[in-house]
Amino acid sequence: MIDSIKKSSIEFFNTNGLPSKKLENWKFTSSKNFKNFNKSSSLDEIKKIESDELSIVFINGVLDKHSLENFKFADLIEVKNLNELTKKELLYCSESFLNESMFNLGVSEFENGSYISFKENSVIEEVINIKNYFFENGQNERVSSFNIFHINERSEISIIEEDIKENFSIFNLKLNKFICENSSIFKHGKAYNDDSQTHSLSYNYYQIEQDVALNVDSMVKSSFFNKEFIEVDLNKVGSDAKINILNLGKEEQHVDNNILINHKAEHCTSFQHVRNVLDNKSTAVFNGKVIVAEGAQQTDSNQSNKNLLLSLESNAFSNPQLEIYADDVSCGHGSTTGALDENSIFYLRARGIDYSSAQKILIKAFAKEVIDDFSLSSLQDISEIALDSWIDG
Amino acid sequence: MIKIKNLEASIDDKTILKGIDLEISAGEVHVIMGRNGSGKSTLANVIAGNEAYEVDGGSIAMNNTDITEMSIENRALEGIFLCFQYPVAIPGVGMAYFLRSALNAHRKHQGKDEMDALEFLNNAKAILSELGLDDSFLKRSINDGFSGGEKKKSEILQLLTINPKLAVLDETDSGLDVDALRTVAKGVNKFKNENNSVLIITHYQRLLNYIKPDVVHLMIDGKIVESGDMSLVEKVEKDGYSWLEK
Repeated sequence: MIDSIKKSSIEFFNTNGLPSKKLENWKFTSSKNFKNFNKSSSLDEIKKIESDELSIVFINGVLDKHSLENFKFADLIEVKNLNELTKKELLYCSESFLNESMFNLGVSEFENGSYISFKENSVIEEVINIKNYFFENGQNERVSSFNIFHINERSEISIIEEDIKENFSIFNLKLNKFICENSSIFKHGKAYNDDSQTHSLSYNYYQIEQDVALNVDSMVKSSFFNKEFIEVDLNKVGSDAKINILNLGKEEQHVDNNILINHKAEHCTSFQHVRNVLDNKSTAVFNGKVIVAEGAQQTDSNQSNKNLLLSLESNAFSNPQLEIYADDVSCGHGSTTGALDENSIFYLRARGIDYSSAQKILIKAFAKEVIDDFSLSSLQDISEIALDSWIDG
Repeated sequence: MIKIKNLEASIDDKTILKGIDLEISAGEVHVIMGRNGSGKSTLANVIAGNEAYEVDGGSIAMNNTDITEMSIENRALEGIFLCFQYPVAIPGVGMAYFLRSALNAHRKHQGKDEMDALEFLNNAKAILSELGLDDSFLKRSINDGFSGGEKKKSEILQLLTINPKLAVLDETDSGLDVDALRTVAKGVNKFKNENNSVLIITHYQRLLNYIKPDVVHLMIDGKIVESGDMSLVEKVEKDGYSWLEK
């Protein structure tokens, strides 16, 4: 079955090719560098990673089953190979993802994807570390991965994803699907504190059922190219999705968030807060869309994108959108882009704080407002340390 | 303390200050009054080094050091403190962090060790108590969500924490109710001593009911046209400024 899915996916990619700037989500994003990467081959040798009891390890996108031997909550999870899933289980996701040529390329190339299911009533207070190790197997490789996480009813799970690699060039094409069943709580933190040679393109689909609380918190620093698609389907009543993202860009880095939230049921709330701090020639793109379906009454949704430009050559492209087909909703969106406020700098300097320190204080204040909204305190700590070194660097 | 000679300044090619002469000695409180647009706040900003203004002529000396070309922060470290008329809100920067950073910048300049967090907090809490502010004030972001009165009290908190040589109060009394005005005045009176100076810029007599000035200056069209004692304030309250125009 999976072979036929892969075959049709590669046909889709071959027909459509690399995404062009004519596509709305790629209008301000160049895919030309993608040509420089070739499909990765399997690692020549199996790498041995020492993992702790709170970590699940992936090596070049593939689950390292050895890490589960130490995993403290191994009895609360069920693991399958994606080959064991039906086509519907595998590819029930966003229509827009299925029409993305790079998503299809990822589907056609991934190997040994995993389905990790947290059993019903699994309440885990500790944060689980998802450690994605990457090893160089050849020059300029594209590593495609596809993994599914299933949070079953009344479970409470927190994870922090971290990519770990040496200083080499790689294209990380990552497909993830998260299913949150009724009355579950899922906190998904991501810390991409990478070197400057990484190209990362990720597709994250969240299938949200009834009375779910979802938090997606992300801090991206230093990747050369980082484009992330997030799509959340709020399928049933009473769920809440909060997305907080901080991107820090320098030199010629490109950070890119494409967020679509589908309000398909009544009494759901969603909140998007994306901040970009851009220095040198870095660029950021925000494509955020909220669609409130007919009948999704009492929806409460807010979307905010704020960009701080630290140089004349940095650029931010912001495109917040709302599509509302219900008449009893509260939806807001806003976007701001600007430099550091000269009056604030004057105020701090008038108290004896030098110009450079005043700038740093204001940059940190801008970024920290997102970090403070992260749902996981450990991700707040990681992000604050990364932010400090980025500002001082 | 501060000696200003024939100071001329402009903003966006518009000349505002047209030759200010002013000398304030240690232990003195001076007041500048004048109509809107006479250049009072411009003078305060130019003393503080606001780079939005261009100094076109004259000089400013602080304790015999020419500070006319000095950066904003170095003027502050030399002892100039501007109480802002409109203090900016800076979300995300906590008052405690800001105050301690400012205080330690001054201590470093004075060759002193940084003040540790505990000592700083104890000092700050004592000042807050005198200003009738709760300790939680320190956990809030700088002026973010502050009422008009809280913003001005925040300025006085900073004044008393940093303890500069010259306090320039730019219409600190504007928008304050009587209680807040008394609190602000109490803070300024606590600050002033024989080793420092205060320059008050105001439109009204009411702050001067609580802080007694040594010298009163009246400003018209970018110049100090009259200087004298408290009787000048009473005359302005009674007759306005038109009698000064020739």
